[in-house]
Amino acid sequence: MLRLGEGEIVLLETRGITKVYGTVFKTTALGGIDLNFDPGEFASIIGYSGSGKTTLLNILGALDRPTDGSVWFNNVEVTAMNDRELAEFRNRNIGFIFQFHHLLPEFTALENVLIPTWIKTHSSTRQKEERARELLELVGLKERINNKATDLSGGQQQRVAIARSLINEPAIILADEPTGNLDSETTEQVYELMREINARLNTAFIVVTHNDHIAAKSDRIVEMKDGMILKDYLTGERSKDDVWQDVAPKYCRHCYKDSDEVNNQLL
Amino acid sequence: MGFEWKVAFRFLKDGRGQTAFILLGIAVGVAVQVFLGTLISGLQADLINNTVGTSAHIIFSGDNGFSAESRQASADYTFAVEGNFRQTDDTLKDWRPLMDALDNQPEMTAVSPLVQGNGFLLRSGISAPVVFRGIMPDRANELYQLEEGLLEGNLGLEGNQIMLGTDLAEEYQLRLGDNVTFQLPGESRQVFTIAGIFDLGSQSINESWILLDLSRAQRLLGLGDDINRLETQIRDVFAADVLSEELEKQFQGVSIDNWKVQNADLLSALQSQSGSSITIQVFVLLAITLGIASVLAVSVVQKSKQIGILKAMGTSSSSASRIFLIQGGLLGLLGSLLGVLFGFMLTQFFLWGTAQATGRALFPLEFDPVSSAVIVAIATTASVVSALIPARKSAKLNPIDVIRG
Repeated sequence: MLRLGEGEIVLLETRGITKVYGTVFKTTALGGIDLNFDPGEFASIIGYSGSGKTTLLNILGALDRPTDGSVWFNNVEVTAMNDRELAEFRNRNIGFIFQFHHLLPEFTALENVLIPTWIKTHSSTRQKEERARELLELVGLKERINNKATDLSGGQQQRVAIARSLINEPAIILADEPTGNLDSETTEQVYELMREINARLNTAFIVVTHNDHIAAKSDRIVEMKDGMILKDYLTGERSKDDVWQDVAPKYCRHCYKDSDEVNNQLL
Repeated sequence: MGFEWKVAFRFLKDGRGQTAFILLGIAVGVAVQVFLGTLISGLQADLINNTVGTSAHIIFSGDNGFSAESRQASADYTFAVEGNFRQTDDTLKDWRPLMDALDNQPEMTAVSPLVQGNGFLLRSGISAPVVFRGIMPDRANELYQLEEGLLEGNLGLEGNQIMLGTDLAEEYQLRLGDNVTFQLPGESRQVFTIAGIFDLGSQSINESWILLDLSRAQRLLGLGDDINRLETQIRDVFAADVLSEELEKQFQGVSIDNWKVQNADLLSALQSQSGSSITIQVFVLLAITLGIASVLAVSVVQKSKQIGILKAMGTSSSSASRIFLIQGGLLGLLGSLLGVLFGFMLTQFFLWGTAQATGRALFPLEFDPVSSAVIVAIATTASVVSALIPARKSAKLNPIDVIRG
């Protein structure tokens, strides 16, 4: 088990979580995961498709329940909550960023950012609206505040989604392949934005990614295989080349088809 | 405006064509309900008014001897045979106290004594059957609206003065002030002077009724101080049967009849008409409900991504289901309000159309805001109910099934 800054408070903790699908033919998606995440850390979860990354992220985000084991947030057992409490927990403490952005197309950029506050308080105040404008400005969309979600480019939509994940000031943001649907230039911008928020607001990020660049630049890399933790280390403790060698060829998207060719290039 | 309202409203607004179609569907259904309801209640009110508007609601006549008491009395005769009772005269004797008592009943709006007998109008060799009706003009006016129906002359009937109907007058070319000879029961003949010509709205009355003073009629028909009937009108025509039962307990020795018994056929026809009207309305409502349910069921599927996102961000299942209940309610309310407007316009168009075709409206149609409000309330409630299944689907939707793309 790995801890950032010994002695600090643990933000999010899993204790032996497993996830088994099916009753007759059992498929083990997670086989006993123990992880700690600290406030303000920027972690990447990498691994092949089917290694259990998304299942883990859904359980961390209280969207799904583990078959066994428990999840703790600030020393409160999340897995003991009922569905209604879970919904409220997600709304107040977790920000979500998805691969397909998932804005509500019926609403404008500003309204999409405000939706988590509507869910929280069933109303919207002038202060919240002001805050949403600030966040949209932070993600560089000041000019597109009143555009419908469908009138924005993929990168713009993802920035709105980032602003939306921040509005209720969560301690942690869970991102499932946030750049999976973006071109490389936009990917870089979105990554920089997440890092900036991470630094400015001390919001922790857990990012599931296939993108080697993002993974290599994270503070921490958690590698999964077959529902287990394969590696878990801080990038600061290794040399950049070492990290790159560990991460790059294996999990970058385009490497799947002809990984040998890429490997050869890198070698 | 709450969060669920905001989302429900936006979903409806965004689904333009779909929303417009279902609103129109509800509106057409409700318009049919409003139009049908107005038409049938107008028709029925008109029929009832024609039937009882200017005729007696409860009629008091002499006991014809078949009452329980007379049965008891006849049993004293040892030779009496069952079913063969002494027929007493069916005139009302000593009726003035009864009339006074009825005058004091708050439900009674008119109490009018009547003496009736048959005769013939004799004119240039032809004899036409007529009905002599002896009345107290003031009291009869309250019941038959004589003043309104009077075309010529006046209500004061004195001596040998009579009033007759416009159809009879036209057929035999009779005018105000003419002297006419009538044959009375018992072959006696009498000459009367026409003091008034009336139109009471019914052809059979207009060609047969001869109205004359009550005491004169009593004398001519040899009734002494008896009368044939006391005719009354009451405030609530449909309470006639209940009221006459009460009156039967109050007044013994008289026979009491009411219009509902006399017009049982008409009433059962009206009732089955109302029944079929309600049946149609129920099925229209069912169609509306199914329409909304199916549109919202499709909508839940269409919006499942949005619902999933909202749930991921912390929307509770009950909140997610409320979004669809609100949509159902909004569709029902807006659609049925639109439908009431359409129904009202349809009613006006119908009135205008019949007026164009026949020169005058067939019967008065009154737009009833209360029943329209009831229709709106029922349609809105049904719409919310129809949204229950989609709402349940929405509540059960699992966010992780949709957020992965």
